[in-house]
Amino acid sequence: MKFILKLHDSIRHHFKRGGKFEHVGPIFDAADAFTFTPLEETHLGAHVRDAVDIKRVMVTVIYALMPCFLFGVWNAGHHYNLAHAVANASFIQDMIRGLIIVMPIVFVSYAVGGFWEVLFACVRKHPINEGLLVSGFLFPLVLPPTIPLWQVAVGVSFGIVIGKEIFGGTGMNIVNPALLCRAFIFFAYAKSMTGNVWIASAGDVVADAVTGATPLGVLSSLTDGQTAADAIAGGQVNFMRMFIGIEPGSIGETSTLACLIGAAMLLASGIASWRIMTACVLGLVSSAALANAFGASPMAQTPAHYHLVAGGFAFGTVFMATDPVSAAATNAGKWIYGFLIGVLVIIVRILNAGYPEGVMLAILFMNLMAPLIDSFVVDHHIRRRRKRA
Amino acid sequence: MDFRINRGFDIALAGKPVTDITDVAPSATVAVFPLEFEGIRQRLMVSEGDEVRQGAILIEDKTNEAFKLRAPAGGQITSIVRGARRFVEEIIIAVDTNAEAERFQSFSAEALQSLDRKTILDQLTTTGYLSLIRQRPFSRMANPNTRPKSIFVNAMNTGPFQVDAETAVGDDPSAFQAGLDLLTRLTEGDVHLCIGETAADTLNQAQRVTLHRFSGPHPAGNTSIHIDRVSPMKPTDTVWTIKAADLVGIGRLFLDGALPPHRIVSLGGPSVKPEARRHYRIRTGGDLATLLDSALNEGEHRVINGDVLSGTRIERKFHLHFHQSAITGIPADRERYFMGWTMPGLQQMSFTRTFASTWLPGKRDWDLGTNMHGEVRALVLTGHYDKVMPLNIMVDFLIRAVMAGDTDEAIALGILETDPEDFALCDVICPSKVEVQDIIRQGLQMIEEEGI
Repeated sequence: MKFILKLHDSIRHHFKRGGKFEHVGPIFDAADAFTFTPLEETHLGAHVRDAVDIKRVMVTVIYALMPCFLFGVWNAGHHYNLAHAVANASFIQDMIRGLIIVMPIVFVSYAVGGFWEVLFACVRKHPINEGLLVSGFLFPLVLPPTIPLWQVAVGVSFGIVIGKEIFGGTGMNIVNPALLCRAFIFFAYAKSMTGNVWIASAGDVVADAVTGATPLGVLSSLTDGQTAADAIAGGQVNFMRMFIGIEPGSIGETSTLACLIGAAMLLASGIASWRIMTACVLGLVSSAALANAFGASPMAQTPAHYHLVAGGFAFGTVFMATDPVSAAATNAGKWIYGFLIGVLVIIVRILNAGYPEGVMLAILFMNLMAPLIDSFVVDHHIRRRRKRA
Repeated sequence: MDFRINRGFDIALAGKPVTDITDVAPSATVAVFPLEFEGIRQRLMVSEGDEVRQGAILIEDKTNEAFKLRAPAGGQITSIVRGARRFVEEIIIAVDTNAEAERFQSFSAEALQSLDRKTILDQLTTTGYLSLIRQRPFSRMANPNTRPKSIFVNAMNTGPFQVDAETAVGDDPSAFQAGLDLLTRLTEGDVHLCIGETAADTLNQAQRVTLHRFSGPHPAGNTSIHIDRVSPMKPTDTVWTIKAADLVGIGRLFLDGALPPHRIVSLGGPSVKPEARRHYRIRTGGDLATLLDSALNEGEHRVINGDVLSGTRIERKFHLHFHQSAITGIPADRERYFMGWTMPGLQQMSFTRTFASTWLPGKRDWDLGTNMHGEVRALVLTGHYDKVMPLNIMVDFLIRAVMAGDTDEAIALGILETDPEDFALCDVICPSKVEVQDIIRQGLQMIEEEGI
């Protein structure tokens, strides 16, 4: 590998200030740091440092997303093949079909997002931030497989530019960029995100046997007189199917099992906050229990463990809510932040008739509230310090 | 009392010095570094070529003329090095072993126990040894005009690597006890002696002090932690602190009535040859070059005055500093790891568990070098630092307050209870490579200049 290093060293000066290609310096620096860890020595403070850097952290998140991604690819292909009545489609057939559906979306997300990141880096003379690796991968996983590619491009442009770059890049953003991308599409192109969009299909050949409705869709549109218990007893919603994730839905979010594997990876490596994840689950379970006791609608009557595996809750909890930039930073704040996400998810699911999924909005809303929560916690901390003194 | 510290992180750095003491042949030159004594305004009292006795006045403080820096050994002044703004950086003396020594007052061990405060402080001031006693907040030289609430003696060390307090004290236990007796005369409050849980008898049997035992990972041995657990400071409090190894020198000064001729120094780190990783008895201000030449491995190294966490790099002045009791050598590491963001990483030390090495069973020592392992990125408030901060401090918010220049907020968040060294582990574990110690140092400086 030394020859690559030599090549880089021989052309490095062109990209430095005053060099021929100084305008695209960040691109060279990113490529250089991609192939070899950056050449930097300690000069202030501690003389030895941890081997971890932001790149390593971000890539670990990507690895944790892999179970969700791979399952999502299979699931998208599987449902496509069901819808087109491809008889006894094999696992390989499902995977290939899934890749055909999903890879263009991922590619567009990275390409367009990368374009903005690089443009801002070159113009504003900051290094290309690794945050895009995660944002650009999270975004496709929360989209329906039928999303038009141009909407992916528009969505990621909005999320990266307005959600992140105008604040100064990764680390300065207020809300999670990937969720902001999705929220933009959700409100701007609502038709792409509601109704029968969860199963990729070519034209209108969807087989009768497949409804294409997500479990939450089923629960929110039960006919009069039907209860959640009926839907469960009738097999319209099935806990194990939802837990494993063989359901229509956004590409990467359907499998709670895959999310749990990802969560295990994030927690074991010490990257994501267990406090936020636990608090989200507690918030959801307790408010669902409250709704069970007092609510009347089928959604309010749905048991808490169904809420846990439904929709994007697991995915949002593990990968979106824990984003350290937009989450609360204090320990107490993390509990409050996570708990309220869980509560808001239930509130939106029960009260919002138009759209039964609340995870995206719950997290975005709490992203906005996180600095406020932290501010309260810090004030409380200062008051306690004063008392001690 | 026993205190258990839970939060923290032990960096298993290779090259821990053993506790044996080796005598280093007395060097032909000694040096004084006046800039070590921060806050004094230099008035140079000698010139090149002068013959001086041990204990002769070299520099006097213009703002407090009682405070002097004295020659650690007698001989001829061979060079006076000046730096920026004509400050004297270094005074080098060619040692003449036959030269007479300046005498100071000496006392018997019993007499020390009833010595009056002024006599003690006068002798400490006129010898410059007062600078071994530090004052909180701001970690400056103790101001003889203040009356400290209490005095904390630090006789333990958890970071890699400081001089072993037991070794230094064990070398001269009576001087240590004499030092403790002197401290009891300087405060109306208690003298707190903080020791590790496995401390030797020499420390456990210390008289006329309050003993506290601390255990746990680094920074359990830091004085800020001891103060916080034993008797927390109010913003208006003044506390004095001193390291046990330094106190031995003070005790010797009062027992002998002469400047202590040598001190115990540890030498360790991955760059030091295994047989050289030990403690040394070195002439005060003595030349280190000979010792280091034979002790360091082949290759390029960084030599550090102090430990790898908060020490300062020594470029060429290989003489022992007045405040120095540890020397650490680490390799200059400019290795660029191929695709470091994804390789399993069997040779990588990390507080996170993102490298294969952190999953391997067993404890191992790391040959850590000067590699930064990454580039500086935006500071993200994550609460990550709090995992290595046993003080009741919200590190993220404190450094944000300092960066924003909000000194009121920084004080409210407790910056005055801390010393930059308490944030060394934050430097180490930060994935964004934020220089936390430096930020805190700037914050303290800002507050000191503005006044509380």
